[in-house]
Amino acid sequence: MSPVFGTYDLNVELSEQDIELSVKGDGKRKRYYRRAGDEEVEKYVNADRGKLIVCPVEPVNAPDESISEHLLIELERPLLIEPGSTDTFFLKFPVEIGSFLVDPTDVERIDIFTLTQPKYTLYGPPESGIVCKWWKSDVYSQAPAVDRLFEGVLRVKITNNYREWMELGKMVFGAFDMKIFYNEHAYMDACLTIEKRTIGETSFNARKPKGMHRAVDIYQAKGLKKLEKSYVIEWGFK
Amino acid sequence: MSLQINLQGAVMDFWTMKIGGWSMTVGELVTFVLIIAVTVVIARIIRVNTRRVMKERMPRNTLSNLEKLVYYGIISIGFVIALSSIGFSLSGLLVAGGIMGIVIGFASQTVVSNLISGLFLIVEKPIKVGDSVNINDVAGVVEDVRILSTTIRTFDGIYTRLPNDKVFSSNIQNYVAHGARRFAYSIGIRYRDDADKAKEVIEGLLGTHPLILKEPAPQVFVDELGNSSVNLKVRMWAPSTHWYGVYTEMLWKIKVALEDNGIQIPFPQRVVWFEDTLKGDITTRQQEKT
Repeated sequence: MSPVFGTYDLNVELSEQDIELSVKGDGKRKRYYRRAGDEEVEKYVNADRGKLIVCPVEPVNAPDESISEHLLIELERPLLIEPGSTDTFFLKFPVEIGSFLVDPTDVERIDIFTLTQPKYTLYGPPESGIVCKWWKSDVYSQAPAVDRLFEGVLRVKITNNYREWMELGKMVFGAFDMKIFYNEHAYMDACLTIEKRTIGETSFNARKPKGMHRAVDIYQAKGLKKLEKSYVIEWGFK
Repeated sequence: MSLQINLQGAVMDFWTMKIGGWSMTVGELVTFVLIIAVTVVIARIIRVNTRRVMKERMPRNTLSNLEKLVYYGIISIGFVIALSSIGFSLSGLLVAGGIMGIVIGFASQTVVSNLISGLFLIVEKPIKVGDSVNINDVAGVVEDVRILSTTIRTFDGIYTRLPNDKVFSSNIQNYVAHGARRFAYSIGIRYRDDADKAKEVIEGLLGTHPLILKEPAPQVFVDELGNSSVNLKVRMWAPSTHWYGVYTEMLWKIKVALEDNGIQIPFPQRVVWFEDTLKGDITTRQQEKT
């Protein structure tokens, strides 16, 4: 038995906390089994080459990827940012785990699951707002310790270009351009630029941190990469 | 040597066809038909490939419009080329087309009305392919918005075609135009039950459901002191695309959760007060029954 995150051959049994995952079988025909909490999934895999990758994915895919493409992190305590300042903070984000079959030509998603309790919220007014995956996090000045199957670390560089003090109660991130990395835990590196009282922009840093692996990018795997490289926050930060 | 057939003013030669002052050889006719046929084939191939390549890269509605644009655009170009190949004057066609347009417009006002409405629908976009809508009391999923008509697959799977002028002039309810929508239940509890506890139980249940939105927050409140029950109103928001599943799921869950906490949903009842003490020997009647 091995910890869950990593790249494996197609005969493997993984187990960690409340997750069991295996691909087993003789010859080409194999059985994929996954249990996370009470939820179980079984599939047949017909393959004799390729690898299995299990890694964190953009946290907007479970329980249903069609609900939202945005992650809203509500801060447990609001953060006040002085005008013209740039500082780095750390948040926690919910971890969703994907298992993929990969060979040199293609990446195929087998399954996405999470141990967290998903929740959605509306950001903006009902007539024009967007449905976001919701998570609550405190603000940390250093990378916090996390339970790696539940939460990851999100580093956010916040720049306040507005002339006034800004109170941040929430931040919204677009999933299309999320860059997730992992080793012991999932990690993302983002920027938030505050332009006006209700307008800002969030984006992700694509540079791979030292000692980390790049997670499979679901949107890229699906050929759905959008041109937008950032998300424009339109309805404020409170 | 030629064989001539008179047919309503048209003179047909074995090699040459004459209509009024304009003539066309069989070779030109074959060329015309061939160009149209090849154009249709090319248009279909390009349409299929456009769908294949763009299917996952753009919304279904935009793709549907793009497909039509590509298909009819290529056919129009092919038609013009085919007409040129048989020596048909395009300037004449434009003039004739203009006059014919006016004539046809007057003769078929409904069609023109549908056409104009269709153009407005495409520009204004109150509905898109794939949207759940209610138009003119026809509720279902929009299958296509064509130039003359809109097709809807009703929720019970019936193909329904609505003329565009009807769609344009009707009240349109688009259930998925906004990201989220609200729905509500009315739930009665007994007068002797604790309404605050009932609210707490329901709020706790709503809070754990992933698709019941955190914001706008669900509302649970005493709405009415009814004849047989204290009526609670339970309002919640869910993503528009998934609300129906939540709607069908939650009512029973609320009922079970309330019962698990000792709160009952009462039957209709009426308390009857008698002015005088009831006369009669109930015991005796019970004995009689047994």
